[in-house]
Amino acid sequence: MRIPNVEDIVPAYLALTVFYDALHVSYEEMSRRLLDACERPTQLRGAGIKPRDHRIPVHYDGADLDAVAAATRLSPGEVIARHTARSYTVDLLGFVPGFAYLSELDPSLHLPRRPEPRPRVPAGSVAIAAAQTAVYPLDTPGGWHIIGRTETVMFDPSRDPPALLRAGDTVRFERAL
Amino acid sequence: VITITRAPPYLTVQDCGRSHSRASGVPQGGAIDSFAIRAANALVGNQVDVAGLEWALGGGAIRFEQDSVFALGGANARATVSGRAVAPFTTVHARSGEELVIEQISSGRFLYLAVNGGIDVPSILGSRSTYLPGHFGGYQGRMLKTGDSLALGSASGAPADGFHCGADLLPRYGAGIVHITRGTHSDLFDESAWRTLTEDEYRISVASDRTGYKLEGASLANAAGTLPSEAGCPGSIQVPGDGFPIALMADAPTVGGYPKIAVAAEADLPIIAQRSPGETIRFELITIEQSQRAFKRRASDLHTITQLAIRSSR
Repeated sequence: MRIPNVEDIVPAYLALTVFYDALHVSYEEMSRRLLDACERPTQLRGAGIKPRDHRIPVHYDGADLDAVAAATRLSPGEVIARHTARSYTVDLLGFVPGFAYLSELDPSLHLPRRPEPRPRVPAGSVAIAAAQTAVYPLDTPGGWHIIGRTETVMFDPSRDPPALLRAGDTVRFERAL
Repeated sequence: VITITRAPPYLTVQDCGRSHSRASGVPQGGAIDSFAIRAANALVGNQVDVAGLEWALGGGAIRFEQDSVFALGGANARATVSGRAVAPFTTVHARSGEELVIEQISSGRFLYLAVNGGIDVPSILGSRSTYLPGHFGGYQGRMLKTGDSLALGSASGAPADGFHCGADLLPRYGAGIVHITRGTHSDLFDESAWRTLTEDEYRISVASDRTGYKLEGASLANAAGTLPSEAGCPGSIQVPGDGFPIALMADAPTVGGYPKIAVAAEADLPIIAQRSPGETIRFELITIEQSQRAFKRRASDLHTITQLAIRSSR
């Protein structure tokens, strides 16, 4: 089942935002269609998007790796081992195109964001902050701790969908050879 | 083909934006004054969603390398083509080799140029809009520079030279009144915050660009702090910790964690877009039904402009 007049759907932590064509359907009517769909979720299944598992190879030579090791009282090797040990879930995308927030970083690696964001973090940088980890998909300003880099293209506007990751997917980082 | 003979400080290719890639974090983008670009397109006989140029911050010049029909809209500017004055929201026929000179923008912020056939650049994710922060879309993902030449799409019948669109069909840019509906987090604000938002004037801060317009005035007490991120849209009025609201605009990130007290009516977004730093706006609360009626009225006004323009060409 597809809900007519829906243009875009954006999942997030506690909200699912639906964009629709308000010229052809009213707020009231769209609310009714969405609530109906929620009451009959089985009819939506099958049309649904299956989460995918991704493996992303990382060169762990980030500018902040030693600082992260010092701040967490771990060796750089141990930081890498703990970052690669877990499978992360994509909570949502945003901030910039293709930026996926990956949750449930090992608690021993939790650090507040850097006090001074960098004006330019290169695309492909693998970073951590608080309970999350992410790959910067574009050259952007950023305040997370950079522990490595990947050659995997996280965002490419010439493909559709342009982002490699979707909310609900899982990601495992691997040490690149 | 048209050639940028003297680029203004800001010039990009824009259309109506991207409406299917938000889940990948791609902002809607597109012309920040979505009415002006559509109306300008209608005035040159284009489909309203083809690409035109978005122009700001100063003067410049463009040469038509082929006989063209063009229209300016949005901000007001002193403009001439081969010495003839060009009025806003008016169809103008130009001959190959003629130059459009914008001396300066006199009021408003973003000026649109539509040319019959539309600007022909590759469509990326369903749009020809330039998204500068991502370096994609438009012309090579960047601002236009002096010397750039842009191809035009194939044109069909054009409205008559001098056809003009009446002010009654345009947003009331001058009044500065913006209608708002309650936002997803309006309950997190108390009545005094609501009174402040709807009774005080807000001034557009210099920290305002295509991602959002920061508003200066009375600060709004926000008990919620930051919330788990969720999607917003152009027109969302969010309140960061300092209590000064920000109206999200075309290039706003798709998600954010500041509470949204209100949402500006889509029909009135062009009015915010065209306010310059230092100018004021005033908010009036309406219902979602009223907001959707206003949105439909705007679409129907555009349809009227299109019909009148077509009739003028016969």
